[in-house]
Amino acid sequence: MRALVAAPPTLLIAVLLVAGCAAGSPNATGTTAPSATAVAPPSAVPATGTAGPFSPTDIAWLQLTVAMAERVLPVLDLVPARTTDPVLRGLAAQVQATHRADLDRSRRLLAEAGAPATNPHEGHDMPGMVTAEELAALRAADGKPFDRLVAQHLRAHLEQAVRIAAAEQRGGVQPATTALAAAVVRGGTANLARLDRLDAPRAAGRRAGQAA
Amino acid sequence: MDRAAPLSGIHRRLRLATAIGALLVLLGTHMVSTTGRADAAPGVNAIRVAEFPADCTYSHRLPDDPIIFPGLPGASHMHSFFGSTVTNAHTTLPDLVNSPTTCNPRTDVSSYWVPTLYNNNVPVEPAISTFYYLGEGVRADVVAATQPLPQGLRIVAGNAKATGPDESIARWSCLHAGQVPPSKNFVTCPAGTMLESYLDFPQCWNGRDLDSPDHKSHMAYPVNQACPATHPVHVPKLRQVLRYPVNGNPAQFRLASGPGYTMHGDFFNAWPVAEMARRVQDCIRPVIKCGHDGRPI
Repeated sequence: MRALVAAPPTLLIAVLLVAGCAAGSPNATGTTAPSATAVAPPSAVPATGTAGPFSPTDIAWLQLTVAMAERVLPVLDLVPARTTDPVLRGLAAQVQATHRADLDRSRRLLAEAGAPATNPHEGHDMPGMVTAEELAALRAADGKPFDRLVAQHLRAHLEQAVRIAAAEQRGGVQPATTALAAAVVRGGTANLARLDRLDAPRAAGRRAGQAA
Repeated sequence: MDRAAPLSGIHRRLRLATAIGALLVLLGTHMVSTTGRADAAPGVNAIRVAEFPADCTYSHRLPDDPIIFPGLPGASHMHSFFGSTVTNAHTTLPDLVNSPTTCNPRTDVSSYWVPTLYNNNVPVEPAISTFYYLGEGVRADVVAATQPLPQGLRIVAGNAKATGPDESIARWSCLHAGQVPPSKNFVTCPAGTMLESYLDFPQCWNGRDLDSPDHKSHMAYPVNQACPATHPVHVPKLRQVLRYPVNGNPAQFRLASGPGYTMHGDFFNAWPVAEMARRVQDCIRPVIKCGHDGRPI
């Protein structure tokens, strides 16, 4: 049996990141010797084309933040024309402005990391993301039913956004990225509290999100 | 047999002739049924298919994906995990290497995961889940030069984002009902049969990276029966075959990622290096069908 890497993975990752993803122990099998990038521990895939210390968690979170913002913005676009509730309108406008800014920052950070802005899993039925069918239902609704649906989707979105941003705060490493995550947690938590104060009944709110 | 009691010269020659005759008959039989290479000199009873399997039953479900969303628990749609019993959003190779597994053989501590199948919003897990490692889809000389899958390699297959069947490589069919044509979306399986999903992973590696920023570009599918120059290292093709204990009208079926054509699979290789290398040498390169123990069947 060959000896396995014994150091704690987090330590290894840290070492690799500090060393600019320099070599680890040889992990070659067969006749083709993988390069230094290939022998990095599994969670330390370096971003190509940058020396920036982005971890895979940073990149995955940025990609997901882009995907989630792109999905919720069309929902928020519908609000001004379809609601008469000034509180909901104000909340939607604020979330919209925040998400536009977050989207912009996320894209710039991904570019800095040299990582693709898309994510292989971003498309379908992700937790907290409005599906194409749900968007169609929103477009067909107005009045109180519309308000209820928007509040419900916004809540699911914000809860998921706060959940994964908190994970990025704990597990991420790139300072600007973890700072953005902290801002998402703060802003998202405050907006969830505002949603709570809205008349939209909480009980009707929750999507069967986790299973989706 | 060689160490049995001494025989006379005639007896020995007779036995030798008989053995050679039997060998030729058996070889002839197998040559008819396959396009195998005679110079590979497989055992007398070898079946000329380059294959070794791992049967890994369902282990657990989590909305996690340590390849696509490492370190972000809850970020994914629901996945059903097979093989290693410990996989979650934080899993790395050392976690897998020391983990318990649902696989036969037990030596396979890799992790395999797919979007959970729901029937009327109730999760359904496969009754049979087999992960075949194959040498096929490329020329014989490419198969003969197959390299082991490097430990720690991560591969994703299928298209979770597919918006229609044309964007998918998924294949759905019915176990024991071959008359039902396979489809990229769910099919209606007759009573008494099982819905099955086939998914082939890319088998050409760039020889360098165990993963890539988009989780795909370090691997490629063959072109014209060979690996492209950008991904020159031929490794065993992983074929995921899942048999779900459901049949009938698929209207109430959905995957956690969407319709049937969004079927995808994720693989995190944690086979012990020596076990993987032995199977590639004894089963894939010489084109021999092996069992779970990695020995010729």
